[in-house]
Amino acid sequence: MTVVPAQTAPAASGGGSSGLYDVLELVLDRGLVIDAFVRVSLVGIEILKIDVRVVVASVDTYLRFAEACNRLDLEAGPRKNPGLPDLVGDMTESGARAKTKGALSGAAQTISDAFTQAHDEAAEEKSGSSTRRRTSTRREEKE
Amino acid sequence: MSTYVYGIAPADRTLPEPIEGIGDPPRPVRTVRSGDLVALCSDAPAEPKAKRRDLLAHQHVVITAGAAGPVLPLRFGGVAPDDATVAAMLAEHHDSYLERLTALEGKDEFNVKVHHDEEAVLHLVVAADPDLRDRHAAQRAAGGGTHEEKIAFGERVARAVAEQERTDAALVERTLAPYAAAAVRGPEDTGRLANLSFLVERERREEFLEAVRALRQENAHLREQVTGPLPPYSFVGTG
Repeated sequence: MTVVPAQTAPAASGGGSSGLYDVLELVLDRGLVIDAFVRVSLVGIEILKIDVRVVVASVDTYLRFAEACNRLDLEAGPRKNPGLPDLVGDMTESGARAKTKGALSGAAQTISDAFTQAHDEAAEEKSGSSTRRRTSTRREEKE
Repeated sequence: MSTYVYGIAPADRTLPEPIEGIGDPPRPVRTVRSGDLVALCSDAPAEPKAKRRDLLAHQHVVITAGAAGPVLPLRFGGVAPDDATVAAMLAEHHDSYLERLTALEGKDEFNVKVHHDEEAVLHLVVAADPDLRDRHAAQRAAGGGTHEEKIAFGERVARAVAEQERTDAALVERTLAPYAAAAVRGPEDTGRLANLSFLVERERREEFLEAVRALRQENAHLREQVTGPLPPYSFVGTG
């Protein structure tokens, strides 16, 4: 399983580690606990969680920030936000990403199924109607 | 044979299909009843471990059973010695579980994680502080400055970013909370500034998602990641 360290990838996709790690955290750390029950050993899972934590307050970070600032042109203004268009689109994307990664994809998929379906249907409808339009235009041309 | 428990549902819940649980081969899911409640259970594998497929199976059972109404999801990995212990546990907490199920009816969890777009937030904090602006200009003019100057400048910037993280975390919570029935803060991690779970009524889901969209549009330096609808893992406790 690949878990993208939160610090190296955040800006890349707006999703970073996608829905995969989020679902893990909820399934493992939340939910009802019943005292009378024995809990399954979670060895291995803890390691994964530690990997995700990155130490921010370090000389490395200071240098990185300094270098990044050095590249900043304050007059030019920040880059335009590439993630503006659609939030639901992002959720669908993270479902699709999880699918290709193959790790813990099912959960993310299940959750985003509704969104994906809605998204696909909307896309089909769109392309369907434009096809119809095109067909009717052609017909008109024939006539 | 010990019993693995996935979640708790009202006794009149009909399960839509035979559901596969954890284990290899997957153990079939059955119910153990007590009063008006059932526990969604299966036999526990001999040595259950937190394997990926079992985590997914756990999630799958809770989501499938939850399609028709509320389920109190158990945290992954709860094993009872036998069905009788499960029934006794249901009986002991019967009323509080039932009350909780009623409270969760028609609501789902949405997990919202927020981090900064690095370039955008650096721009924001440097531009907002006259002293940082001056230092930034001086250092650019000097081709970046010495190693020590870089570290000193970077540390100041890191502090400003941390401050901005706190400000934005409060902003996210304040902005979205009115659209949710409840909110819970998740564990903090470096690399993100907020990890919040919201309990959202289905009728208000669009409103909630619209509020997230608006937040994003108004704050170009924020990156939100929304996961949901999820079983209400973060809202199983009373309160």
